[in-house]
Amino acid sequence: MAELDHWHPVLLSRELGARPAAVRLCGRELVVFRTGTGVGALSDVCPHRGMRLSEGRVEDGRVVCPYHGWRWAADGRGESPGTATAKPCAEAFDAVERDGAVWVKRAGADAAFPALDVGGWSLVGRLRRRAQAPLEVVLDNFIEVEHTPSMHALLGYPLERMGEVRCEVTATDTTVRVYNEGPQKPLPRALNPLFQLRAGDLFVDDWTVRFSPVHAVYEQYWLDPDTRARRPNALRIGVFFVPVSAQETDVVTLAYSLKSPWARLGLNGLLLGLTRAFLAMEIDRDVALVGRLADKSPALKGRSLGRFDKALVLARKRLEAIYRG
Amino acid sequence: MAGEVVVVGAGPAGLATAACLRARGVPFVVLERASAVASSWRNHYERLHLHTVKRHSALPMAPFPDEAPRYPSRDEVVAYLDAYARRFEIAPRFGELVRRIRPGEVETAARTYPARAVVVCTGYNRVPHVPAWPGELGGPVVHSSAYRNGAPYKGKRVLVVGSGNSGAEIALDLWEHGAQPTLSIRGPVHVVPREVFGIPAQITSLYLFSRLPPRVADRVSLFTLNRAVGDLSRWGIERPALGPVSQVLEKKRIPLIDVGTIDLVRQGKIAVAKDVAGFAPDEVRFVDGTARPFDAVVLATGYRTGLPDLVEGVDFDARGLPPRFGEEVARGLSFVGFRNPLTGQLRDIAAEAERVAAHIAGG
Repeated sequence: MAELDHWHPVLLSRELGARPAAVRLCGRELVVFRTGTGVGALSDVCPHRGMRLSEGRVEDGRVVCPYHGWRWAADGRGESPGTATAKPCAEAFDAVERDGAVWVKRAGADAAFPALDVGGWSLVGRLRRRAQAPLEVVLDNFIEVEHTPSMHALLGYPLERMGEVRCEVTATDTTVRVYNEGPQKPLPRALNPLFQLRAGDLFVDDWTVRFSPVHAVYEQYWLDPDTRARRPNALRIGVFFVPVSAQETDVVTLAYSLKSPWARLGLNGLLLGLTRAFLAMEIDRDVALVGRLADKSPALKGRSLGRFDKALVLARKRLEAIYRG
Repeated sequence: MAGEVVVVGAGPAGLATAACLRARGVPFVVLERASAVASSWRNHYERLHLHTVKRHSALPMAPFPDEAPRYPSRDEVVAYLDAYARRFEIAPRFGELVRRIRPGEVETAARTYPARAVVVCTGYNRVPHVPAWPGELGGPVVHSSAYRNGAPYKGKRVLVVGSGNSGAEIALDLWEHGAQPTLSIRGPVHVVPREVFGIPAQITSLYLFSRLPPRVADRVSLFTLNRAVGDLSRWGIERPALGPVSQVLEKKRIPLIDVGTIDLVRQGKIAVAKDVAGFAPDEVRFVDGTARPFDAVVLATGYRTGLPDLVEGVDFDARGLPPRFGEEVARGLSFVGFRNPLTGQLRDIAAEAERVAAHIAGG
């Protein structure tokens, strides 16, 4: 399958209003619009005289070209107001709205949808951020924890105890799984009761990377260091890596909490809000950092790698075989 | 009366009954045809989750673990039932296929157990129900009991027959696996999201609809459903004339609990068809006279209890259900786990198991 054959979250639902929106995916320019019962995606160029459809409007579920008023349905079928006999056809993509995002793939490609299994979980937040770096380089940042002491405030480990962090990497033909367990980075003391943590708790960051499309699902929770019993709080976070062009990658994050916001008499609402703020800050810092790398070449050959980088090598092979294969 | 207390089946109902007997110090034996507890649950399709919240789905004396989500998955339910059996030291006799149950004795393939009490816990889902239609499809036609996930159907046109929860969820699972599903729905059905505006449907049933007069409950639920789901008739899903609560009470037909299928129906990703009329080698014909080509069919046409062929001395109704649940029906004979109320089957099992165990311990 090629890159475009997989489902990609190109926009968050809240970013798509009544007007059509221009998006880029794998260097292609697309127009995304609401049809009234769903969403549609077409190549963002009117087959008639080459105008950008994204500068038009939506009427009766069809996007109308601002140049000559030709109308295009989500399946690509067009209609010319002046030439009733014309049966023009635009290039259409499969589009669906799920989990608060708009997903697009090449029409007719039979890729599986990356469902997150979060029925009954509570939404923490959805984010889309653009990184100025190739997909592999961005993915690398999200599949090792060695950068968390310097870049993360909540979901990470302390630098001086990085040597204690367990990092187990296992792989199948289609997945790379990384289990990290180590001391939680100290939080401001006042936050511990809100997060239902105690000083000295272990933080588990257990994620699985899949490649159709390229995404990682993180299971994050905390353990009592003595009994290894789980603390009540747990997060499930899906992070999708969307190739905008060869040098730009969107990071789309869908974050959920095991506990509902109204738990603990609504105190959890505050916890979820704070978690969302931490998460946004950490992703913003990660994304800004990979944009400033001196060498953005995806090649790993010739680099000096540490024990936390094993997953990177395994992910590269699967990415080539499954995502681009 | 001589003999033991025999519990037939080691699914949720059998385990709950056994645990309640253990708590009252009553010796018992559990007979199970499979080689593990919860064998039906182990064989359900992978995507299945409870439609009821874990707080109101636990068996007696053991809540679901804190780390389980609000709607536990198939695997989480199996793990819970495994742990439940260990915790109450329930060691069923596995591989014991019960052939006949009479008041006072249980006959298996190997021997006959004299019984002072028999609790039938063989489950709602014992015998897959496969309706007969004229003709034959060239592609595979499988019952939902043999369906694991949508992976084998990638890229295929698949018809799912059945307007119950499993049919709707299997259609969703097929779409997620890259197939092109069509859902054949027989007659009008109420569609109720598993959560309406963040409130689980089970909670609404438990605290509101089961306490209101049915006609008022119908009004309230239709008012909410109009806003949460709306009119689905343009996609081929008709609403019954009776309200959702009366539908359960009078017609014993529970609404379709939606976990995401309807959203994809609205977006045109899952098609809806009428009831099946018959098969041809490369297409399926429907009762409205239309025909569509399909590569495979999944029959989510439900199960039967199989009780009339198994149990003697009880008057079963047309659907194979005993006259009463959770209490003695004939001499020493009771049934647990054969009801499917709006408030949740597992919750019902927990209540029935307690009642039956108390009766046996007292009697």
